Amino acid sequence: MERLDFDVYEVFAQSDPLKPHVHVFNVLASTPDMALALAEENFFRREGFVNLWVVRRDAIHQLGYQDREGFRKSEKTYRTTEDYKYLRDKWRHYREHPMSAEDRTGGTRDGSVVD
Amino acid sequence: MVEEQFTDQEAYFLERVDRGDRIEAEDWMPEDYRQQLVRLIAMHAVSEIMGALPEKEWVPRAPTLYRRLAITAKVQDEVGHGQLLIRVAEDLMRPWDKNREDIMEDLFTGRLKYHNVFHMATPTWADAGIIGWLVDGAAVITQGMSLSCSYAPYARALQRIVEEEGFHIQHGESICMALAEGTPMQRAMLQDALNRWWPALLMFFGPPEKSQLSTHQLRNIRYRIRSKTNEELRQRFFTKYVHRIWSLGLTIPDPTLRQDPVTKEWIYQQPDWNEFREIVNNHGPRSEARLGLRSTTYQEGEWVRRLISTAHRAG
Ligand SMILES: [Fe+2]
Ligand SMILES: [Fe+2]
Repeated sequence: MERLDFDVYEVFAQSDPLKPHVHVFNVLASTPDMALALAEENFFRREGFVNLWVVRRDAIHQLGYQDREGFRKSEKTYRTTEDYKYLRDKWRHYREHPMSAEDRTGGTRDGSVVD
Repeated sequence: MVEEQFTDQEAYFLERVDRGDRIEAEDWMPEDYRQQLVRLIAMHAVSEIMGALPEKEWVPRAPTLYRRLAITAKVQDEVGHGQLLIRVAEDLMRPWDKNREDIMEDLFTGRLKYHNVFHMATPTWADAGIIGWLVDGAAVITQGMSLSCSYAPYARALQRIVEEEGFHIQHGESICMALAEGTPMQRAMLQDALNRWWPALLMFFGPPEKSQLSTHQLRNIRYRIRSKTNEELRQRFFTKYVHRIWSLGLTIPDPTLRQDPVTKEWIYQQPDWNEFREIVNNHGPRSEARLGLRSTTYQEGEWVRRLISTAHRAG
């Protein structure tokens, strides 16, 4: 028996106009219309959506495992507010004990002594 | 499995699994892992599809319009679960150049088995209730464990599935509760259904391991495809449901059933495991009829599948 041919379509849905489209699952279809109809039938029997995308899987390019792994490993706290948590305590301290004029001369962030 | 025999690639794979990493379809995986997954997921997929049939028999006979809408929705969900799982299995079978047609073929030839419970008859409306309440209840215990499966696409499919099972179970509870609160005849019907289903419910989790795990189980546990034994899952089922069943004034057809007050382990009468083997080998009460229906429908739908395949795509 000759095999029937279909394409895999990945389904992305948006639940709210301010939210991004999120990957839902995938369906097997021969046209985008069919993929959209099947996506509705398979994944939205209960909850609603504001928008639905289907993308043929072969149009999606992804990183291989090694690259994903490499990306995950790198620490990037210097790009985030993570390293600046100490600021809150300092601000509280200076609100209660404002720096005097002499204190303001010289000194670096890292060298300043709170107590 | 002796770990020293592994190649670097296999060792790295197991290390990923050990640290709780989830494996994606395109990642490198040992052939054995792929085979274990396909075995499990294809079986689960056809069980969902065959599992729609016992309750489907009650769609035209549901007692009220509301019950009819609800059971139709449930039957549709089960077929939907089959659809999700078949996609997961197909992606794994791609390197073997196999697809859903092979899964269906294996189902029809008996090479691929489906859950024992779906070979059983559903002579009354109470059977539909017991399926929703206790068969889906048992299934959720197994599927709940599988949410932690190392293979990410299967775990993602299960998240969607388990969410809908919540509705299935309450739908079943509601049917059983109504019968339990009903006339003496309705109560008797519910009791009869429970008597019919009890051995099948125990069989659902598979034979107890005693202290002997099968090679398949050992591998699946090593690969973090599963994390509990058949017996552990069955014990959970008892703990979750025995008291509830009793609270409706029903009798569980096992006079030996009791919980050890110290170990908390449930002592129970083993179902007939030879009968279990007969049933899953398609010699159950309704095996032939349901497989016949499934295969006729499949053949009759062949022209539709042909028409909607890419061969006929316009342009
Ligand atoms: Fe299901
Ligand atoms: Fe279900």
